Amino acid sequence: MAENCIRVQNLLKSYKDLTAVNNISFDVRKGEILGILGPNGSGKTTTLKSILGLIEFDSGSVEVNNLSIKKQRNDILKSVGAVLEGARNIYWHLTPMENLAYFAGIRGLSKRDIAERAEYLLDSLKLSDVANKEVRQFSAGMKQKCALACSFIHDPSILLLDEPTLGLDVEITRTIMTWLRHVVEKEGKTIVITSHNMDFVESICERILIIRKGEIVSHETVKSLKEKFSKKHFLIDLAEEPQSTLMDRISTLGEASLSDKTLRIELKTVESLIPLMKAIEESGVRMLNFRTVENDLEDIFLEVIKEGKQ
Amino acid sequence: MKLLTMLAVEGKMMLWSLKRYMFNTVAMVAVMFLIFMGMFWGIKTIGGSGVTGESLDSMLVGYILWVSAMLALGNTGTEILSESQRGTLEQLYLSPLGAHKIFFFRALVNIVFNFIIITIMLYLSMAATGRWMNVNLLYLYLMVLISTLSLVGVSFMMGGLGLIHKKISSVNGILSFGLIGLMLLPTYPLTPYAFLPFIAGAAAVRNSIVLGTSFPIWWYLFITANSLFYMIIGLIIFKKMEAKAKRLNKMNQY
Repeated sequence: MAENCIRVQNLLKSYKDLTAVNNISFDVRKGEILGILGPNGSGKTTTLKSILGLIEFDSGSVEVNNLSIKKQRNDILKSVGAVLEGARNIYWHLTPMENLAYFAGIRGLSKRDIAERAEYLLDSLKLSDVANKEVRQFSAGMKQKCALACSFIHDPSILLLDEPTLGLDVEITRTIMTWLRHVVEKEGKTIVITSHNMDFVESICERILIIRKGEIVSHETVKSLKEKFSKKHFLIDLAEEPQSTLMDRISTLGEASLSDKTLRIELKTVESLIPLMKAIEESGVRMLNFRTVENDLEDIFLEVIKEGKQ
Repeated sequence: MKLLTMLAVEGKMMLWSLKRYMFNTVAMVAVMFLIFMGMFWGIKTIGGSGVTGESLDSMLVGYILWVSAMLALGNTGTEILSESQRGTLEQLYLSPLGAHKIFFFRALVNIVFNFIIITIMLYLSMAATGRWMNVNLLYLYLMVLISTLSLVGVSFMMGGLGLIHKKISSVNGILSFGLIGLMLLPTYPLTPYAFLPFIAGAAAVRNSIVLGTSFPIWWYLFITANSLFYMIIGLIIFKKMEAKAKRLNKMNQY
């Protein structure tokens, strides 16, 4: 098993009468992409900012590369990059090249030190053509890519991203996803991402941490989470709206609901499939289409959040 | 070496920003010059022949010093707040060299930039009024650098308070205009007013340039100590406020 590079233990942060993060513990392994999911106000950003030492937590500990964030923050920051609140993290009146030079400079790296890396980042994020244009002229996606490049200019081993795809279109999201995958697979970086974009998280993260009201309600690999919570249900398109007698009859077979002329049913047992078909046939309603659907990460997320427990 | 790189990049940042906001900078100098000319003509009109060349020289040097004080006083506090509102403050706090160093270097760069502004203002005003003084620019720059450091300290305090209390622009305004009155107070030899920030340095510059007064070395040492005192106090208060902002999660305000 890979070595841990971030260790959060019993992290607690509260403000007056609100507990933002309630005694949470988790590890991040070297070379993995960990996703942190949770509804608004669940404590995702507070957790990220605590790891970066931007928020002073009440109790617990955060260690990055075996260094304590409270005692050795400056050493930790040499190997950590972050994009918090997206494209606002960069200067819009500067060009991407100037932003890169500035954020390298405040880390003590000269333009000469970062020349090669800046070129690589601009090229790999498809920003070379606009390297000398003011960021304010860019689309949200390009600004976000520029912020990513800046957070990566000092070649950190760990990258923390808060909502990296918020408000971005599918194409840019895909570009960012491919790039992040590349830096993990080829450069061995570790990434922690908070996001609301379930497709993005599902396709990029190996493990997912689900937080609700400051508490971890699930911490598993995407695969095991899906295995545990995955449920099949059937969607049946009918030619006309069925009578309530049909709904009463099939509700004994499983959890059923009707939306327009589409019947959704989650059967108690597979054996109930034959009685279901029979009931529809006997009702005289013609069946147009029948398909099996597996619930996606969004359904699982909602279920986990609803239950508040694994 | 890393700190020199940081200082250099702050210089570049100033140049990049100047390039983008050139109109703003030119407009600022023009407005300052117009204010001075308004004051100059006002005094000439009211005072008539009673206004001596010496008092005009004193007004000119006083105005130049007030401009540099105002620019230094407003700088760090305003910078911290605008970074916070823009969303870039937390990125600065990810520098392993320390965000307070970034702001300190930014203030130093700003003071050097102020040298250019006050030199332009000085010569524009002398040309416009026809009163030419023999100004030792090196002495002026050195004294402005030393004495405005105390105001950088005050500005750090304001920036720290701004992190918690959000709005400091009105306090900055009051302090800037309060300085006009304070700069007229007697400071030498060691009056209680000399312990205020900037005042003793400003008085020394004004008396030295206008009246040709020379001061003993201990007085310059006192002015330096005064500036260092306010700078250190400013940094301490800023660090305390920064810790409080981290406790309350108030680093970003947009």
